[in-house]
This record gives sequence, C-alpha cells and structure tokens, in this order.
Amino acid sequence: MASEVRYDGKVAIITGAGNGLGRSHALLLASRGARVVVNDLGGDTRGGGKSSAAADAVVEQIRAAGGQAVANYDSVEDGAKIVQTAIDAFGRVDIVVNNAGILRDVTFAKMTDDDWSIIQRVHMLGAFRVTHAAWPYMRDQGYGRIIMTASAAGIYGNFGQANYAAAKLGLVGFASTLALEGKKRGVHVNTIAPIAGSRMTESVMPKELIDALKPELVSPLVAWLCHESCDETGGLFELGGGFYSKLRWERSEGVTFRLGRDVSVEALRDRWRQVVDFGRSQHPAEITAALQPVVANVQAGPSRGGNEFIDVDLALGHQSAPVSSAYTEHDLALYALGIGAAQDPLNNRELRHVYELHRDGFVPFPSYAVIPGVNAVLDHAKDGQLAPGLNFGLDRLLHGEQYTELYRPLPRSARLTHTIKVKDIFDKGKHATIVFAITSVDERGEPLMYNELTALIRGAGGWGGDRGPTGESNVPPDRAPDAVVTEQIHPNQALLYRLSGDWNPLHADPGFAAAFGFPRPILHGLCTFGYAARAVLGHAEGDPQKFKSIKVRFAESVFPGETLVTEIWKESPTRVVFRARVKERDKVVISNAAIELFDQIPSAAPAPKPAAAAASTPAAAPVTAQSAEPNSTDVFTAIGQHLAANPELAKKVNTVFQFKLTGPDSAYTIDLKQNNVSPGTAASAECTLEITDADFMAMCAGKANAQELYFGGKLKITGNVMASQKLNFLSKLDPKLVLAAAKARAGAGSAAQPAPAADAASVSEASAEPISADIFTAMGAYLEANPELAKKVNVVYLFKLSGPDGAWTVDLKQNKVSPGTDAPAECTLELSDADFIGMCAGKLNPQELYFGGKLKISGNLMASQKLTFLQKIEPARVLAAAKARVAGGAAAPAAAPAAAPPAARIGAAEVITALRRRLADNPNLGGEVGAIIQLTVRAPDSAWHAVLTAERAEVHEGQADGPQVTLLLAEDDLLALARGEASPAQLFQFGKLRVDGDLKIAHRLGFLHKLI
Amino acid sequence: MGNRVNVIGVGMVKFQKPGASDEYNVMASNAARAALADAGVAYSDIEQAYAGYVYGDSTCGQRAIYELGLTGIPVFNVNNNCSTGSTALFLARQAIEGGLAQCVLVVGFEQMEKGALGAKYNDRTNPLEWQADLMNRVQGFAQAPPAAQMFGGAGREYRWKHGTKRETFAKISQKARKHASKNPYALFTEQLSVEEIMAAPEVFDPLTRYQCCPPTCGAAAAVLASDDFVKRHGLKSPVYIAAQAMTTDFRTSFEEDSMIKMVGYDMAEAAARQAYERAGLGPKDVQVVELHDCFTANELLTYEALGLCGPGEAERFIWDEGNTYGGAVVTNPSGGLLSKGHPLGATGLAQCTELVWQLRGQAEQRQVEGARVALQHNLGLGGACVVTIYRRD
Repeated sequence: MASEVRYDGKVAIITGAGNGLGRSHALLLASRGARVVVNDLGGDTRGGGKSSAAADAVVEQIRAAGGQAVANYDSVEDGAKIVQTAIDAFGRVDIVVNNAGILRDVTFAKMTDDDWSIIQRVHMLGAFRVTHAAWPYMRDQGYGRIIMTASAAGIYGNFGQANYAAAKLGLVGFASTLALEGKKRGVHVNTIAPIAGSRMTESVMPKELIDALKPELVSPLVAWLCHESCDETGGLFELGGGFYSKLRWERSEGVTFRLGRDVSVEALRDRWRQVVDFGRSQHPAEITAALQPVVANVQAGPSRGGNEFIDVDLALGHQSAPVSSAYTEHDLALYALGIGAAQDPLNNRELRHVYELHRDGFVPFPSYAVIPGVNAVLDHAKDGQLAPGLNFGLDRLLHGEQYTELYRPLPRSARLTHTIKVKDIFDKGKHATIVFAITSVDERGEPLMYNELTALIRGAGGWGGDRGPTGESNVPPDRAPDAVVTEQIHPNQALLYRLSGDWNPLHADPGFAAAFGFPRPILHGLCTFGYAARAVLGHAEGDPQKFKSIKVRFAESVFPGETLVTEIWKESPTRVVFRARVKERDKVVISNAAIELFDQIPSAAPAPKPAAAAASTPAAAPVTAQSAEPNSTDVFTAIGQHLAANPELAKKVNTVFQFKLTGPDSAYTIDLKQNNVSPGTAASAECTLEITDADFMAMCAGKANAQELYFGGKLKITGNVMASQKLNFLSKLDPKLVLAAAKARAGAGSAAQPAPAADAASVSEASAEPISADIFTAMGAYLEANPELAKKVNVVYLFKLSGPDGAWTVDLKQNKVSPGTDAPAECTLELSDADFIGMCAGKLNPQELYFGGKLKISGNLMASQKLTFLQKIEPARVLAAAKARVAGGAAAPAAAPAAAPPAARIGAAEVITALRRRLADNPNLGGEVGAIIQLTVRAPDSAWHAVLTAERAEVHEGQADGPQVTLLLAEDDLLALARGEASPAQLFQFGKLRVDGDLKIAHRLGFLHKLI
Repeated sequence: MGNRVNVIGVGMVKFQKPGASDEYNVMASNAARAALADAGVAYSDIEQAYAGYVYGDSTCGQRAIYELGLTGIPVFNVNNNCSTGSTALFLARQAIEGGLAQCVLVVGFEQMEKGALGAKYNDRTNPLEWQADLMNRVQGFAQAPPAAQMFGGAGREYRWKHGTKRETFAKISQKARKHASKNPYALFTEQLSVEEIMAAPEVFDPLTRYQCCPPTCGAAAAVLASDDFVKRHGLKSPVYIAAQAMTTDFRTSFEEDSMIKMVGYDMAEAAARQAYERAGLGPKDVQVVELHDCFTANELLTYEALGLCGPGEAERFIWDEGNTYGGAVVTNPSGGLLSKGHPLGATGLAQCTELVWQLRGQAEQRQVEGARVALQHNLGLGGACVVTIYRRD
C-alpha cells in the first residue's frame, strides 16, 4: 500500500449508523481518522420504536478503538439537529452519508397512505433535511462529500416496494442536481445502490447470499467517494458482495422527424424498431448532451418535404458507396456500333471508333462517357440501393435529361470507380425529378468523367416542394441550322445498343413494350443521344477528341427504323446547339441540347509539373558595338571550328540538328552528316531545338543543363528526342574558341550590332504606369459599382504601404476608400508599395507574401482572406485612374516604381517558416512522421533538419546528428514540393530528390505538401 | 506436345573487349565448331541453321556459317535486340519440336563497338520510341546511356516502393564478379568488393559503372536434335528443353507509367509462368539460373519476376545470399552479362551453354551441386523475353 487513505481532521455524519451499512461506514471512517456523528433513532426496520442503545454501542466501539465519535438520536426528519450535533461536538461537517432508512413492503393494491408517506418522509425528506442543514457549512468551507443511498429496487423495480422504489430513484435525481450545484464549491455528491445483507433484507434472501453481502464490502466504496482526493461527483454506483460498478444512462439512437413534417401515429409505429434499437446508442451524461438530437434537428432546419414515393430529407445529398467498373476497346467498339457508327465500313473516320487496330489509331467515341456512370446508377437501382427515401418502382422512372462531361479524352481502357450523389430533387407538381450526379475516377483516382442523370418520376410530385429551375437552356437560335444530318436508325439498332448495358426489356421484348402501351419496343433514349452526338461531332467538329460535354433533354420516344434529323447550330468555336427530330412523325425527340468542345485537348496523362520556372529574362544585350562579349553567333562559329578539328565526332553523332533561337531570333543548322555548321534552317533536320539565345549561351557555357532547360519548359525538342542526347559535346566546346570568335567579330567592327533594346516607354507613358494611389481610386470606383460586395465583406481595412509610404483606409462598412487612417480598422495590412501593386495585379499572392514575411497582418487575420476582391478590380479601371491622374497634372510621387516590382522571392527559409507553423498547428504531426530528417538544399544552398517525433516536432538550421534520412534537392524542387506541384515520388524518379538512409521515410513527406 | 528437343552440343569462345576480338565470322564459326564437336556430329548432319546478331549488315549469318561448309541448307538471320540469341534458339526449338527437322544449329554472335548502346538509324522511327516517350514522361532524359536510364529508372522505382538500399544493387555485382572469377570464358574475372563497386563513377543513380554490363564481342552455339536423331546417333542422356516460352510487350508496359513494367517485368513474369506451367515445375524445382543481368537493377527485378523470391523480398534474398552457392538457387554462375560480358546476339546461347555444362556436371570450379533443372531468362527491350527450362534425367 503506497499510502493509506485517511480522513484526519474531517467530520462525518452517518445517519442510521446504529446497525448494518451505517454502522460499517462509521467504523471504517473513524478507524481512518474521521470524527464521526453516529446518528440512529433506534427504531425497528419499519420505523417503529426509539432507543439510544444502537448509536451508543457504535460510539463506544469507535472510542474503544481510539477514535472520536458522538451519538445523536434524532430522526433524520430533524436533520438540522443532527448537523448541529456535529458543529457542537467538532465545529464542522465534511461528510454526510444519508443512510437511514426503513421499509414498508406491501403490494401496491394493499398500500396505504401511511405506507407511502412514511417511506417518502424518512428517505426523501430525511435526506433533504440533513443535507440541506449541512450544505451551508460545506459551501462556506468550499469542501464537502455527500452520499445518497439508493437501491436496485429504485433502478429496476422490485415486487412489493413501489413506495420504497419511488423514493430511492428520487434520491438519484436529487443527487444529480446537487452534484451540479455543488461542483464549483468543492461539494461532491454521489449515490450508491448497495446490495447488502442487513436487518432490512434478512427476511427476503437466503442466508448464503446474505452472508456474501456483508456491509463491510460496501463501506470501502463509500469511504473512497468521501475522500478529498476522489474526483467523482454525480455518479451512481452499484455494488455489493465484492462487486463494484458505475451505472449510466443509455439512450437508443432513436428516430428524428424533421421539423415541419407531420408526425403521425402510424409513422411512429412504422419506425418503432428504430426507436427502441440499441444497436447504435448514446450515453448522455448531462442535460445538454441529452438535448443534442433536438438541437441538431432544429439546426437542420425545416423538412424539405416529400411523400410516400420520395423523402427529400433522407434522399437529397445522399452519396452511394463507391462502385467499380471497367471498360476496354471491346466495350468502346460495341458502343460505337450501338449508336450506328461505321455503318459504312469504309468510312475511315468512323472506322477509327470501332476498329482497335486502325492504322491512324483507335479513337474511343467520347459520348461513351455516359455509359459507365449511367450503368452504375442502373445497377444500384436494380439492387434498390439508389438512396434511402426513394420508394418508387423503376416503372415510374423516365430518363428526362442527361449531362455528360469528360475531363480529358477517353483512354482505350480504364478501371473506374463511381460515386453517385442525389444532387437535386424537384417537385414538378404532378411529377418529380431527381438529379443523380455521378463522378467517375480512374485507377489513379483522377476524375475522368462526370454525369448528371435527371430522372423524371411519374406521379411522384405534389408535396409543395422546390420546383427547381424552369428556364429553357440551349434554345436553338432563330435562324436556319448551320448543318442538318439525316440518318435512318437501323431497325435492329436497339438490340445492338442494349449490349452496352441497358437491358430493359422495353427495348427488346414486343410483349413487354405492349404492356406499357407501345406498339413495339422503343429505342433507348441514350441511343438517340449517341446518334445525335455522332451527327454533331461528325459535322460541326471533325475531331471527336475535342468533345468536352453534352447536355440533352429527352422529349419523345423513338422507334428503331425511324429517320433521325439532327439540326446543328454552331454558336461558337467551342459550343454547338442542336435538336433532333424524327422525320416520319415530325416530332422533336431531343431538345435543349448542346455539345461543348475543348479549346485545347487536355493531355491524357498529366505529366509532373516542372518546378516553378520564373519567366525567363534573357541576359542583357551587348551594350556597345565594340563589345567582345561572346554571343550565339560566336558559339556556332566555334562549333564549326571544333567539328572541323574533330571529324570523328561528326561520324559518331551523324545527325542533323536544327537550332531555333529567340530573343534575338536566329536559326542555325549543325549538320553532323556533312560536318558543317551554317546559319539558317535545313529541311534535312532530324532534331530541332528551340531555346532562347540566353539559355543557349548558358547551356554552351556549361551554366545550364540541357535536361533542366528541357524540363523547365525552356528547351523544346522536336523530331528525334533521342538524338538530342548526343548534344553533350556542346559543353565540351573550348571556351577559347568562342572568345576568339567573338574577338574576331568585334575586330571586324563593320557588322552592325543590333540596336540596344529600345528605351521603349516614353516619359509620359511611363508616368501613366499605375501607382498604388490609382489602385485605391479604382477600388473606390469598383466598390461603388458593386455595393453588394461591401455588404458581404463588411470589414474596415487599413493598408500601410512603405517605399513610398502611404496609408489608405478601405472601409467596407461605409463603402468608402480614403487616404489616411480615418475609421478604426479591424484588419491592418503592412506591405511595400511594390508588393501591393503586384498583389492587386494578381502577380503576387497575399498568402505567399504573408508567409514570406513581406505582408504583415494585424487585427482580424481571417478578414484578410476576404481580400480576394482586390484581384477582381478590372485593370482598365486602374489604367483609367492612372491616365486621369496624369492628365490632371498630379505629379507622380518621385519614388513611384517605374517598372513592375520584382517578384517576392520565396525560398527554403519561407518553406521552413511555413513548416514550423504547420507543426505548431498540428501537434500530432511529429508523431505521425516519427523520424529525424536532414534536408540539404542546393541552389542556393541551405541545410535544415527536422526532428519529428511524438515528443518533439522542431525544425532547425544546419546539420542533424545522426539523421535517419538525408534528402538532397534543389530549392526550386523543394518549392515545387511545398506548393504541391510535384510529389516526392516524382522528384525521386526524376533524380531530382536524392535520398540517403532510410528511403521509406521519404514516403512520409506529406508534411511538406501544400505548405505554401 | 511435339517431339522432345535435346541440346546435344554447346560451345562458345572467350568473350573479349571491343577491338580485342576476332571478327564476327571467325568467332561464330569457332563457337559452332566447338558445339558440333561437343555433340559429336558432322556439319553435314545439320539440316537448318539459325544465326542471331544485332549489329551488322544483312546475311552475316551465312558468311559465318559458310566457314563450316557450303551445303545449301536454309540459314535464318535473327535479330531481336538483347534477346536475339534465345530468339534464334526458340525458332530452332520449334523446328525440331514440330517435326520439321531432326538436327539444327543455332549460333549467336556479336562484334560490338566501344561505348554505350545507341541508335544506329536516325532517319526513321526509333523502335524504342514508346519506351522513350514513357521514360521522358516519368523521369525525363538525362545525360546518361539510355539503357542505363531505363533500367536504372526501374531500379529507382523499385527503391522508392521498397526502400531498398543502393548497396543491395552493388551486392549483385559483387556476386557476379565472384562467380566470373571461376569462369575462363568471362571478360571480367577480377573480384570486386561492394565498397569498390559503390565507389565507381555513378552512371545513373542507383547504378555505378560496375553495375552495367560492358560492350562485348563474342559468340556461342548450340546443336539441337530430336529424340530419333539422338537414338540413331547413340547419344546418352542429353540435356533437353523441358519448356520454353517467349513473350513480347503487353499493354501494361506502356500504360502504367511504370519503369519496372516498361523494362519488361510483365514480359518476364508471363514467360516464366508459361514455362513453369508447360514444364510442370516451379521456381523451387530449379537449382541454377542464367538470367539477364544487363544491369544489377534488372537482376533484382528478375528474381521476383521468375518467382525466385516473393514480391518485395529481393533485398533480403540478396543479402541472405540465396542467389549464390549455398543458397536456394545459384543465379548467373557464369558471371552473367555483368562480368562474363554481353555480346547481344551471343548472350542467349552463352546462357544455354553454361546451363548445359551445369546440368552435365562439366562446369568445373563453378559447378552447382545436384543441378537437375536449369532456367534461362533472356530479355530484350523493344521487346522480347524468352524463358527456357532445361532438364537432364
């Protein structure tokens, strides 16, 4: 025993302590130093009689053992007297154990008023009186421990004890409330529900059980709850016979009806199983937790309605579990045949959609993008798992509208995962519409396609809900179509189309179709959709790879064998509106339809983004004509000489290279077949390199690496990429040769040098260059024109600019922009004038400036996030303000920047600063990484080490002692990592991230992702 | 199943550095003579000949074989990049198995230039264009030999996935040198330590120079015959081909942006699976393997492709020395491409020669005790992979 639990200096009142539990509590507490008031009326177990003997005997026993105790013979109904005894004898009271009790067991039928009320008086009123008298002392001294004695009979009920059970459970509520009221004053109140053999239970239990239920096995828990080091309060404990436990309330998850919905008796009956289901349950410990479902229901807002077919509250927003599917060229070709492609097998364009070995390449027909998503919905629908709250049969469902979008051209095969969301539910009066949004991602988790299927549910509307958008979209213009495509749909087309996944017998089985009132099976709406898409893509835009999206409304059924007339209006280079009619019946079958095209075809496999490459600024042009500074001409001259001196080189490389230089522009051919270097272009070039003059010079000087230029997008290689590898001889060029060539050129002197870059900007134009004042002027005008913006943002900003210094107040409460510090600002931003201009021009990002330490924000930091409106100010407004200022003759401030400000440089230090911030915000991050990582950065060089463990999460400059892993990379690549533009795996594969030590740790570099 | 195909004779010449060897026709005819002598048959018994080589003008095969005699038999020139030799072997095996011939000669040779492999024809579509495109997309082009970039890149991808140490790749080279030190036909017979291998100039991370096979000149040959022929000539207990499978690229080589797949992992895995199935054997039944270790990275990948160890277990397999004498299987007892050398057209037949010697118990100091089943893996980018299982009863 490490330390004995003692009660020295404490005074305890134990009621009913002459026998049984009370006596046991008193003896235990006294034995451990408490001074005890032993209260006992000395009556029998039914409340009759009165005697001092019982209390006296216990007091005697305590004193004999060396303890301190006094006796009290009052009824608990005179609680104040009992407490007074404690005050008189010991001067204080610390512990009250409400233990006194009697029984009047009788079946309810025979229970008298007296049976009822004496029980309530002794147990309830008695506990109240004693506790109430002790309460002020405890509150004043800031300390108290109170025990109520309840019973299993109160909790579970017990035959013949209705009066007793009521009183006992009453004590639980009594204690729960006192626990709350006493908490702040150090008064703890707990309740025990003991099962103990005592005078009161002797009559009903077998002797063996009573022997096991000794009072001595109850008192330790009471004593512990009464100790000053015990934090429990408000608890209910069930114990006895060596068993100790705590009780709490459990509540089923239940059901919640959204407010505004009628809750009928039938609705409750129908969901009764859910009301009483403890499969998912809660344990509210306090009244606020108990209220939580109600609060949540209020917060969820009023019901969005519904009826027996559709429960909008349940269904709207529901997202299905992901489902997977896959397709191959086989599926694509079958689909293309299903929508009538290549009926002329010699039509080369259409043959590409159905023949996987086509010599020009197989081209998946893009409207196939509708199939995987819609099939996923059909599969879910067949399983009855579309969404909870959708309780209609599939026979009510009609395909109303379809929107299909591709994020990039379809690959020839893919494994896809789809999620289906109930995006919208509209009440159209008689009918309802449901919009299912299906997002499909590929094996890498990249979104490939998006579908919106609008289903019309016949006869399911009418709950008075949102009617949804009503406007007509994609209405054909009021002119003759730009193209009309007429095509007969083959009579067996539906039988072919259905093999792509829509097996509804309505499209195949004549008997089934007849049952639905159709003279024969109808064509799938999506088959008509495919025919129309083929017509549009075939005529309006030759390249199906440009397909971006399609939207149609299904207006009428089509029968296979009918003739489809697709009318096409090309509204812009990227948008085509169309409509489809059935010629025989002159009925519009597809209306409000449009296809959108990509301006540029997105690449199939997004290549890793190259590390942020600053806009290349060519090196300054030679300043004087006399300069012997080498230029690219000199380099080519030197190459010619080098090749002449090393003929075996040409033999080995044996390739014709074309160089196209820009800024200044020039072209050179290095023909290593003829061993000849000459200006101009050559038709025989096998490998063409396009590069700026400056970068070319840097490359030949060995200052830039061809590979880096290539990946930085600064070197473009066409033709034989492999041949470009052989260019490394360029860096072997003797610099002396180049210098000699430059001298020779300068010496010749006659050649006119290109004029130095013209000092283009005239003085007046230069001063019309916008300054920050113009931006604020423009801002004022912009805010005036957009009053709703001020209302939305509703913040007063103060901008403190430096170099030149200035202060502006942007008051979005008064909708006013003024110089100076007029209004009390809620959010103050300090930055340089140049950075401010750069930020408003969208060249600099406020967040980067902030993390780069170039923008200081004080006051309401969150409000600074609303500053995005700055970038919405039209540049024209700023220019107009600048012009007005110049015209008005206002002198531009002397220090006004004449050129665009230099971009704020973000480097490794800024990444580390952002990392420290992240570590501070995410205390668990260190433990998740669990490693000491050395970060060695090149160009410019810096070294850092991160100690990321559960105990510590720190980043320091310099070398770590014994890092588990060392990462070596260029600063640009570190920035690319931190910006989320490159992944560690990509950089590693590119050889841009070198890892020494435990490579697996490099898998956990997520903490660098999107730092800046 | 067709006729059983027996390898009744093998032979090779010592591999040399470029510039130090005989001309191709001399090397090839010498190897063929050795194989004929080993089989104990005359050139006049040969009904067809298959000649494998990569570099050289058309009909080098005839020029080499004509030195053995001018009997007017069909001669086929075979070119399939680094898997040329075993592709020739594959065709010859088909001829016997299909009953179209009773006895054929296969010879592989290469007279290489100094320096890393590169394209010879720059005026037309490069056959490795798709591989190059993929590499460019996944890791860019570096100033390094393209093959080293491809296999080294596969090594990088494997390292990233499994956290493999650079030294693990070097350890393969150390083993190769150790094996080659006992092989009189090998180019490099000097042993190297892991440290020395690591300290060599880096060609393409994680590969150092000693982890890349050298350009080599050499030739090797084999004589294949049917059971009837064996019986007629009274040949005793010859080595035979229990199964052979050849694969070319699958879609996965190009569509998963994986360097490992691009350099032929799936080709190897599929060829091995087919061969095991046809032979009714598994990796555990094999005692000796000659596999295509053009770079250490590929030997490591091939362990897993052939099932010699489980996926991701190669590093442990290497450090536990499961791949050498005393281990579960001996890989490249000849020293492999890394140390014996890699004359492209000859490699497939040199592997065959080594394994026939091993199964006959004629491998002298490098004999693998109790070798009954041998496996050959020969891979070419472009691509093709041939896996052959040999047995001797």
